Amino acid sequence: MNIFRNVTAGLKELMRRNKSESELSEELKAYVQDAAEAKVRAGATPEEALRSARLEVGGIETVKHQVRAVGWEFVLEVLVQDVRYGVRMLFKSPLFTAVALTTIAIGIGANTAMFSLVDAILLRPLPYPDPHRLIVVGTNQLGASTMSPMGTADFLGWRDRQQSFEQVALFDGAGGSFALSGMGAPERIPGVRVSANFFSIFGVAPIKGRGFHPGEDNPGVPGVAVISEQFWRDHLDSDPNVLNRTLTLDGKQYTIVGVMPAGFQFPPREPVNVWAIRTLNPATSRPPFGLHAFGRLKLGISVRQAAAELDDIVAQVNVEYPSSPPLAGVVTPMKEWMVSEVSTALLVLLGAIGLLLLIAVVNVANLLLARATVRQREVALRMALGASRKRVVRQLLTESAVLSLLGGVVGLLLAYVAVRAFLSFGPGQMPRLNEVGINSGVLLFTFVICVGSGILFGLAPALETSRPALSDPLKDTNRSSSSASAHRTHRALLVFQVGLALLLMISSGLLIRSFVRLSDVSPGVQPDHVITAAISLSNKYDEPQIGQFWRQFLEKVQAQPGVKSAGITMSLAPNLLAITNPFTVEGQGYDPHRKLQLAEEMSVSPDYFRALQIPLIKGRFFSPSDRVEGEKDPMIVIINETMAKQHFGSKDPIGGRIQTGDPDPRSPWETIVGVVGDVKYSGLEYGPRPTIYVPYNENGWVGWSRAMYLVVRSSGNAQQIVPAIRAQLASMDDTLPLARVRTMDELLDESLTQQRFRTWLISGFAALALLLSAIGIYALISYSVSQRTREIGVRVALGAQRSNVLSMVLKEGLKLLLFGLLLGWIGALGATRVMRSLLYSTSATDAVSFVATSITLILVALLACYIPARRATKVDPMVALRYE
Amino acid sequence: MADKNTALIQGTLDMLILKTLALEAMHAHGIGLRIEQISQGVFLVNPGSLFPALKRLERAGWLDSEWRSTENSRRAKYYVLTSAGRKQLKSETRDWKTQSVAIARILEA
Repeated sequence: MNIFRNVTAGLKELMRRNKSESELSEELKAYVQDAAEAKVRAGATPEEALRSARLEVGGIETVKHQVRAVGWEFVLEVLVQDVRYGVRMLFKSPLFTAVALTTIAIGIGANTAMFSLVDAILLRPLPYPDPHRLIVVGTNQLGASTMSPMGTADFLGWRDRQQSFEQVALFDGAGGSFALSGMGAPERIPGVRVSANFFSIFGVAPIKGRGFHPGEDNPGVPGVAVISEQFWRDHLDSDPNVLNRTLTLDGKQYTIVGVMPAGFQFPPREPVNVWAIRTLNPATSRPPFGLHAFGRLKLGISVRQAAAELDDIVAQVNVEYPSSPPLAGVVTPMKEWMVSEVSTALLVLLGAIGLLLLIAVVNVANLLLARATVRQREVALRMALGASRKRVVRQLLTESAVLSLLGGVVGLLLAYVAVRAFLSFGPGQMPRLNEVGINSGVLLFTFVICVGSGILFGLAPALETSRPALSDPLKDTNRSSSSASAHRTHRALLVFQVGLALLLMISSGLLIRSFVRLSDVSPGVQPDHVITAAISLSNKYDEPQIGQFWRQFLEKVQAQPGVKSAGITMSLAPNLLAITNPFTVEGQGYDPHRKLQLAEEMSVSPDYFRALQIPLIKGRFFSPSDRVEGEKDPMIVIINETMAKQHFGSKDPIGGRIQTGDPDPRSPWETIVGVVGDVKYSGLEYGPRPTIYVPYNENGWVGWSRAMYLVVRSSGNAQQIVPAIRAQLASMDDTLPLARVRTMDELLDESLTQQRFRTWLISGFAALALLLSAIGIYALISYSVSQRTREIGVRVALGAQRSNVLSMVLKEGLKLLLFGLLLGWIGALGATRVMRSLLYSTSATDAVSFVATSITLILVALLACYIPARRATKVDPMVALRYE
Repeated sequence: MADKNTALIQGTLDMLILKTLALEAMHAHGIGLRIEQISQGVFLVNPGSLFPALKRLERAGWLDSEWRSTENSRRAKYYVLTSAGRKQLKSETRDWKTQSVAIARILEA
């Protein structure tokens, strides 16, 4: 059969439905007349003939219906009819529709929003050509599982010997920003140093100019930089002649050679303004490790081959640096490297929000079931008039599909708002946020969950309503057998719902407890009245000048009114750690294969400890007289309590000696002069680690003390002394920006942004789940009470007390509740394990969270039962009995 | 009133209609009457089967229709066999003959 003809004929038919209908009527009329005439010819009277002809045709409408059903367009017409009818039914009960629509819209909206995040961050491939060939490489200590950045020796060794990659490049993990001067007031702009092949690996072309040429990262080549489109717009007024202009970054001149398009964002966390060339000097030692290396695999080379090759190269470097502890190579696909930190949290959130949708679906299903009893008469009537069960189910399912699609449309709007809000107010520190949006993939997801939930919440009620029990519903009795079975489905769904809600509540309980514990963790400093800022000295300062600058600057700040004490430090609590360093305690030996012991090491000024009120436990703080200019360094350090306990035990650490850097007997000895309290530098969630403080102006350290945090304790409001500090800085060097000005409290707060955000989110879901279940329980018990009005009336008439009635109704609710709790506990014991990595010193089966949330749920549920139960006690037996 | 022989094989009615129209254009009642007469009353064609069948055949492109006036000057929808319909009738007839001969052989064996 010709499909084209069939389709066009169907369409034509749809278009001129009225005409073809009237033609069919006319044809059938003619047929009846013809038939009657034939019978008259055969000898019947005209009346008889017409009557029997009509009988022969049967119902004219039935025939018409059969003729219509021949074309495919009929299915479409029925659908339109059902949708129309469905919409009419929804309008007929506006309260039901409003509640159901809101419930679905929230469920679908939340899921759509969360899925758009998961889609952009976890599912979609990176926005570069052949993204699966982009591989990040690094090194780590033997046996460690995480990937650490590389040192120069390893990178150069890999770059020059590897055969598996088309190109390799790096970006420098240190810094993350530049001091921009020479363009108005000095400021810090987000930026990163990268090697020459950086841009060509991604295969993204600049919108202006070029990327870097090979060899531009060699020593002695003049500095070049590529800027972002945003920087070009905001700082350079989209100057068309921007190429070859110069930028002063950290006091050094760079020539602008290109502008990258707005969509290009790498490294992925914060938007980068400037990519400056990273000069690669030959390595003199293996540390420091701060280079994030990556490459584009050659066609046909597997990740495993690349990993094996890297391992060989790193093993060669191990031999070249025998005093350094041996390392191993690690490779990871770039996408994994970018998203691994957030993927657990995202997937847990998506799971939680999926549960919320299920709860919403159950609620709507129960609403529909309650309505089913009302609709049963209508449906029974339709079935009595000849509608098949299949037809009725189809019609009822169409109704729920209409409901869920309408809910989906509203939900999509909600999702759009939620995603916007998340991007503006959510935790910004997440990779690939610039790719988040509601796209066709997300729309498809929304459509699928709409239809899916429509069928889910529609099926049970539809089957229930259309249960072929013709006589009962038409008699309008409240005790039909089918309503009893509807009630059973109703209860089962409720138990399921309570279980899901409890699962969500337990998850949120765990996160809340973990978060409270994390917020209670002492950072080891007194955060009140402390202001912090970052200052970074440019390269024009040589080492003696650095020491001089800081001493003078600190003296000036100290002299400001309101300043109690001012200090500088390389690393700042609670999570701004700059470097770690291996160390050796005197008498420990130099076996390069012994387990690497690392300390957080930082240079600080003498007053740093006073400014943050870090307690002195033994010995003394540093003093300005520790180092006299022109004299040999005494080489002194202060260690923290943890290091003293771990390495000196009961011995007095004061006067003890340590070496830092790779184990080497020739390293200079440093004498411990003090022990101070533990401070968190790696994040509040981590346990205490050994920490070593050195004076910032010590010979070996003064060169490292270029980029420092200023910490100032004031007697009044810490914010108020910022202008004075700024003025003092400008008076010494007006090209230096005072960057990242924060109070210590703000820093503590910011360090928990992610945890706080996900805790709030899950708790929000849990609260919604609790609310939805409470509504569900309330609706079920109310419904059940209304169904049993007559029975209760009889009981009361026979002498039952109010308390009997109350406990009877409550018992019914309680029974369901207990089953639900059981289900929730079993689910939670199985499911919360996936959250383990998100919890801080809280077990995934934490008893307090389990019990507290269960009690909350029981209380809320009992309240939801109590209201209808009380109504039941007010049943007037006379009214109830007369009701029949 | 049902077909006398409800076990009429699916599609057989279509073939009979095509055959009936192979001689001349007819309206619905005429077709039913003709089938009844020629089958000597074995097949009584119910309008409930006849009209859907006509629409099906028309949709398939085997029939065309036009409104004409009848011998007693009423308007009626006349069905005409198209050339595609003629071809279809030929092949259906051939298939039917093959099958019925085969069935007859089996029954007489």
